[in-house]
Amino acid sequence: MAFIPQPNNPIAWLTAALLITLTTAFLRLLYILPSTNPTFPTKRLRTAHTRLLVVLGSGGHTAEMFLLLGRSLNPRLYTARSYLVSAGDEFSAERAEEFERGLWATSASAMAGHAGEEDEMRGKRYEIFTVPRARNIHQSLLTTPFSSLNCCLSCFHVLRGTANSNSTNNKIPSPPQHQYPDLILCNGPGTAVCVIFTSLLLKYFGVRGTKGKMRTIYVESFARVRTLSLSGKILRWCCDRFLVQWKGLKGGGREYLGVLV
Amino acid sequence: MIPPQTPRPRKLCFVTIGATASFNSLISTALDRPFLKALREAGYTDLRLQFGREGRAIFDDFIINNEDGSEERYGLNITGFEYNRKGLGQEMRGATAYKGGVEGVVVSHAGSGSILDALRLNIPIIVVPNPSLLDNHQVELAEELASQDYVVHGKIDDLPAAIADSEKLREKHKAWPPVNSGEDPSGRGLAGVMEYEMGFVD
Repeated sequence: MAFIPQPNNPIAWLTAALLITLTTAFLRLLYILPSTNPTFPTKRLRTAHTRLLVVLGSGGHTAEMFLLLGRSLNPRLYTARSYLVSAGDEFSAERAEEFERGLWATSASAMAGHAGEEDEMRGKRYEIFTVPRARNIHQSLLTTPFSSLNCCLSCFHVLRGTANSNSTNNKIPSPPQHQYPDLILCNGPGTAVCVIFTSLLLKYFGVRGTKGKMRTIYVESFARVRTLSLSGKILRWCCDRFLVQWKGLKGGGREYLGVLV
Repeated sequence: MIPPQTPRPRKLCFVTIGATASFNSLISTALDRPFLKALREAGYTDLRLQFGREGRAIFDDFIINNEDGSEERYGLNITGFEYNRKGLGQEMRGATAYKGGVEGVVVSHAGSGSILDALRLNIPIIVVPNPSLLDNHQVELAEELASQDYVVHGKIDDLPAAIADSEKLREKHKAWPPVNSGEDPSGRGLAGVMEYEMGFVD
């Protein structure tokens, strides 16, 4: 007999409602995932103010990230930079400060050519945010979901721009509240998974102000030659661009641009 | 005793095990006679080890048992330290050809950070994956880089041979980073991808 909900059968009605909800939820997921529904970036001028979020991890990931940035970051294009570090990782925070200082030491001469420009503070703003660790070393798998959730909650505040940064060159005026980053750049640390998931959650519910924001680039580690890292395996479905540095990893949406570090 | 010779230009071999894990077998192999002999024969004057917390015992043991100038040191000036929190870049620079010295070699665990440091300084590097780490991707990285002639893939049970190989590598002298190694239409690497994703229009 065909499955037709009867007005006098509440179980059937509930089942139908549940099925419709699940289908809708699933379709919404397919709609927001870059791997199933790639979208184009919103056009903007090079003179626009922008916010870049850089996710740092422990030792190796952080070192690689700054090698990448050293080759690719033009502070005049990414005018406000937020760095996200895990609690207790002073190394990464120090490296971020060092990198920012170096940025202006090297581009000081380039800046001279732009003397008299309307806004000499342009591109000088950066902030460093600390979030709790998604998982501590040797932490039990049972408690990991809770610590990850806690990490995601902090990431939520960082993304919305409502978190307190623990380090900033605060002479430069703060950007307006709820200004989501335009671009998120990450490589393999566990925190990156939390950040990307949180950004997807915001997009999933179509939170106001997220449209056209938080595009994501993942760069797989130089150390990964034939197999993806765990973060890579998870995030390959979730990022707008997924870059690998070795030929053996290309294909299926993974772009091989050669060694980037 | 090794007969005194005319002073030779400084040539340094820098051995590093990184910060994360201990690698005692690399430290003891680097202090073994065959390896020191190979260094001596390749014209080295200095051996410097970053031995980590656990490696200190091995190093101290060697220094105590083999006096300065003894035959077991093969005329090499042997020094070491645990780790430098500020990074090992400065130590690696000791293996470059500065102040009248000649270019030496870096012997490193297969951590990507150390490998990249040496590649960027353009010093020949011998990458020795740690057999006690069940981390196959380190071996893969060493093999891949060795197959492209950027590094020598050193094996812990035959390190002296790697010294000879590193001399051959020095002659090839491939510059880092590789140019146009990938399939990058913009030719601008990550910067191009970032600007595309930002939607910048000129």
